[in-house]
Amino acid sequence: MELSDLQSAFMANILDDASALPAGWGTRHEAGLSIYRGNYRNAVIEALRDSFTKTREWTGEAPFKQAAINHVIAKPTASWTIDDAGEGFDATCEGFFSNAPEVAELAWLEWVMLAASSAPETQPISLTQFGEITSAFAEEDWLQLRIGLIPDLHMRFVSHDLHAIWTVEAGERPAIDLEEQRGVLVWREDERPIFQMVEPDEIVALQMLQSGKGYGEVCLALAGDDPTPDDAQAAAMRAGGLLGRWVQEGFVLGLNP
Amino acid sequence: MAHSIKPFGGFGLGLRRQHFADFLDGDVPVDFVEVISENYMVEGGRMLRVLDQVREKHPVIIHGVSMSIGSAHGLDTDYLAKLKRLEQRVDPLWVSDHLCWTRTSAHNSHDLLPLPLTAEALDVVCGNIDQAQHALGRAMLFENPSSYLTFPEDELTEWEFLTEMTRRTGCYLLLDVNNIYVSAQNHGFSAREYLAGLSLDRVRQIHLAGHTPPQEGSGIRIDTHDHDVCDEVWELYAEVCRMLDTAKTPVATMIERDGNIPPIAEVLTELDNARGIAGEVLELA
Repeated sequence: MELSDLQSAFMANILDDASALPAGWGTRHEAGLSIYRGNYRNAVIEALRDSFTKTREWTGEAPFKQAAINHVIAKPTASWTIDDAGEGFDATCEGFFSNAPEVAELAWLEWVMLAASSAPETQPISLTQFGEITSAFAEEDWLQLRIGLIPDLHMRFVSHDLHAIWTVEAGERPAIDLEEQRGVLVWREDERPIFQMVEPDEIVALQMLQSGKGYGEVCLALAGDDPTPDDAQAAAMRAGGLLGRWVQEGFVLGLNP
Repeated sequence: MAHSIKPFGGFGLGLRRQHFADFLDGDVPVDFVEVISENYMVEGGRMLRVLDQVREKHPVIIHGVSMSIGSAHGLDTDYLAKLKRLEQRVDPLWVSDHLCWTRTSAHNSHDLLPLPLTAEALDVVCGNIDQAQHALGRAMLFENPSSYLTFPEDELTEWEFLTEMTRRTGCYLLLDVNNIYVSAQNHGFSAREYLAGLSLDRVRQIHLAGHTPPQEGSGIRIDTHDHDVCDEVWELYAEVCRMLDTAKTPVATMIERDGNIPPIAEVLTELDNARGIAGEVLELA
């Protein structure tokens, strides 16, 4: 058997113990293979335990382990880094904890916080720089303004109060269902990944900027359909407030990049 | 042709998260630290900042677990590019990985899988080492792994394989004394014969670690790195020290602990034991 075939057969057996053993292999080899198989599964499960601490604490150890085993079997890793083993674990949780949909949202949150923790260093503009650039802006300049965001700013809509879950004390079970969807923003501040629950219109605005839309279009979207002059004025105020916050939080890499 | 690696003598530790504060805030008495490459092959964040700060105090060795030098499916060029970036950032004493394979083109085992010791595998390994050393622009060290099975196809002993590998590629050896002991026990060969068959002049570093003894009904020792170094491995280390000409060619020795990580004082006690054994041998010589 050629080396590439042998390695493919070996790997198949690690991933699935029902896979056929290479020809000529007996119980001695099977015993060795079972150790490698156990090492693989333990390594991935341990990586998931490390990456999804809050999810594990919320679900409890045994259900989490079962979900992790499902994930190991259903989604064998291709990446050279075991840190990627958690890729898609939120989808695994969505299926496994179908009666507790907050678990998938929590797993997503932990996954993107992990991504943010090792994201590239960035140099966002400061409030002073922002003021200098925009001090001479005319109305037309604001309408045509493009805003470059930091690359590792993660966001989504959620139906559960992830802040309440994140800060829960042992033994507590707080109310977590939201009456209306809210947004979650995740980014890194210095060395620390952080998240914040925000109003949904902020997610809409940031997603528009990420997709290449301009500040003027964001203002229009915030004003809604058939806006009155008061609606347009309120939307401009809201957009201005958001932009100021984004600069302050360090979300803005540059203007008109 | 690979560049030569200048010998570096001294005693060090593997840098682990549990000991970050010790290294950042204090003065840990080591001559070098070894870091797991993959933990630092990231774009930014705390891990790289810690590494930069530790690098200001100590020489660093980068030690990988995912190069998959024995993979018949070839090396991952994205991995090599990221490793090269880390190497340029750290300017390490050297870069090392294991004689093993971890990946096929579709999947990764995240474990050090054994190679059949055949002429074909040797060709694959040497070709991959040439590619890796060329990509990094420097010679590498490769570590002998522990293994839990041997292959019916084997044509060489592990020491013959390693010796031929170093001869053909110009790479060096990271000798894991615990791994020799574990594999010798698991497969019934003599650890001393293994050592006698190696090109010891290619050894630049030694790992000392603990392992899990055979569990009931198993008979197989497992290289877990979560125990103290056992007496038999200390004895074998003394034998290695006697066989190496460390007066002429210094070798870096370190304690490698990956699980059940104790306070740093306990690991430093083990490192002191290694210092003592190596010192006694040198004095007798």
